[in-house]
Amino acid sequence: MLTVSNLTAGYGVPNILQGLDITVRPGEMVGLVGANGAGKTTLVRVLAGLLPARGGSITINGSDTTNVPAHARPKLGLAIVLENRNLFGELTVAENLRLAERAGANRPKKFDIPRIVEMFPAVGEKMAVRCDLLSGGQQQMVAIARALLLQPDVVIMDEPSTGLAPKVVKAILEVLRGLCSEGMSIVLIEQNIGIASSVTQRAYVLSTGRIVHHVADGGWPAFLHDPHLVSRYLGQH
Amino acid sequence: MSMMLLAQACATGITNGLIYALVGLGMAVIFKGSRLINAMHGELAVVGAATAVYCVEIAMWPTWLAVTMGMLIAMVLSTLVDIGLVRRLFNRNAREESFLLLTVGLGFTFSAAVLYVFGREEHLLPAFGDEIYEVAGAIIREQTIWIVGIAAFILIGLKLFYKYTDFGLAMMAASIDPDGAATTGINVRLMRTATFALGGLMAAVAGLLVTPMIGVSYQMGPILTLKGFAAAVLGGLTNPLGALVGGITIGLLESLSIVYISSGLKDAVALSVLIVIMILVPDGILGRSGRKGG
Repeated sequence: MLTVSNLTAGYGVPNILQGLDITVRPGEMVGLVGANGAGKTTLVRVLAGLLPARGGSITINGSDTTNVPAHARPKLGLAIVLENRNLFGELTVAENLRLAERAGANRPKKFDIPRIVEMFPAVGEKMAVRCDLLSGGQQQMVAIARALLLQPDVVIMDEPSTGLAPKVVKAILEVLRGLCSEGMSIVLIEQNIGIASSVTQRAYVLSTGRIVHHVADGGWPAFLHDPHLVSRYLGQH
Repeated sequence: MSMMLLAQACATGITNGLIYALVGLGMAVIFKGSRLINAMHGELAVVGAATAVYCVEIAMWPTWLAVTMGMLIAMVLSTLVDIGLVRRLFNRNAREESFLLLTVGLGFTFSAAVLYVFGREEHLLPAFGDEIYEVAGAIIREQTIWIVGIAAFILIGLKLFYKYTDFGLAMMAASIDPDGAATTGINVRLMRTATFALGGLMAAVAGLLVTPMIGVSYQMGPILTLKGFAAAVLGGLTNPLGALVGGITIGLLESLSIVYISSGLKDAVALSVLIVIMILVPDGILGRSGRKGG
């Protein structure tokens, strides 16, 4: 379970994130949507520990991780798939996964390589291939596989659909749905409102560093049919 | 020109080239683990060798203990540079030129320290062995055999370390993508410090191997850095095997220039040929596929 309370952060003055409150329960897939510049990527970097929080708190499974270094957060059950995937391009797929397996070795084991290959057959076929030689879709699958081998309870996915073919996006979303049904918490950060509304139960709408709207469980149809809300906060029609 | 002279030129070129390669290997290790050009690498080699000389000549220690101390001091010094200075620059998001300037400045500082302690004289360490062999008309000293053996040992050791140990793999990952590494549970700062420690150790090994053949002095650092850097770049920069090939190429070019052209032009000829090679194969002699190396 992930709880973010009154979180503030930024790179200069003023803060980009201005007091965010977010809660994600076990087995939930929650969306975090917003237009460009809303603060989504800043939030991801703070959750990952790559940018320090200036105020507020981040709690994972009851443990305060606000000031825990980035490399120690996977041990507490958090995995992040960054927007540009951040694979180790000069290493093979197998080497990328081996590093994650090692980091997740002390956590309760939910995923191993055979299971990953079953979920993403394309990953299994490319084990000996350098990651920088993979297609965008294959790279995204490796990035998700690497995150899962950390044996997380909470996964943050930053714009997983960016630059991918609809067929690949559909396959990835299908995997995410399956993970939620096993009790994993997922935060799906998306600019594409269509994708977010198709897989998440509820969502937070982020605008200029603030949560400006909460789409409650079952509230997506009403939100999508309110052109005022969609265009105001997301700049979409 | 006799075949004997050619054989001798090749033997000398390969010996010198292996020294450049050992310096280049250390620079490749640091670049591989931190993406930084360590412009003080030759000076670290000098510090390691000078420490061993001090322990033998002044403290009268046995050679093996003096050599161990030389390696230890270079390793500790390199580690402290990372912890005390490089880490601070990283924290301030410094750019590549800042790191380059830092290591250039430290290189001058180390040279000045060696000058202060040892003066301007050159100092030799005892050779690992005094035997002399004749191969195809060329005279080869036992120290050369040691250099070849140790270079091969280091190369194979690095290959196995990066390929088969989790720690070696994590060191590479931390430099390739620090954010990706941190979110995969890798302590990026620790990996960079380990990289600097390993690089310092390798610099000392190069300095200690060359000192029984060429006396160590405060002026030796920059030329070792330059030739080692050229060897590493020629080999693809992240590839230890490439640094070996690059070092031997430079050594042979220098040595053949002395025999066939003029000793005064050896550096000009060798470095000119390197420029041509780099224009023709910008990813290094072993090409793009060799860049990962190991």
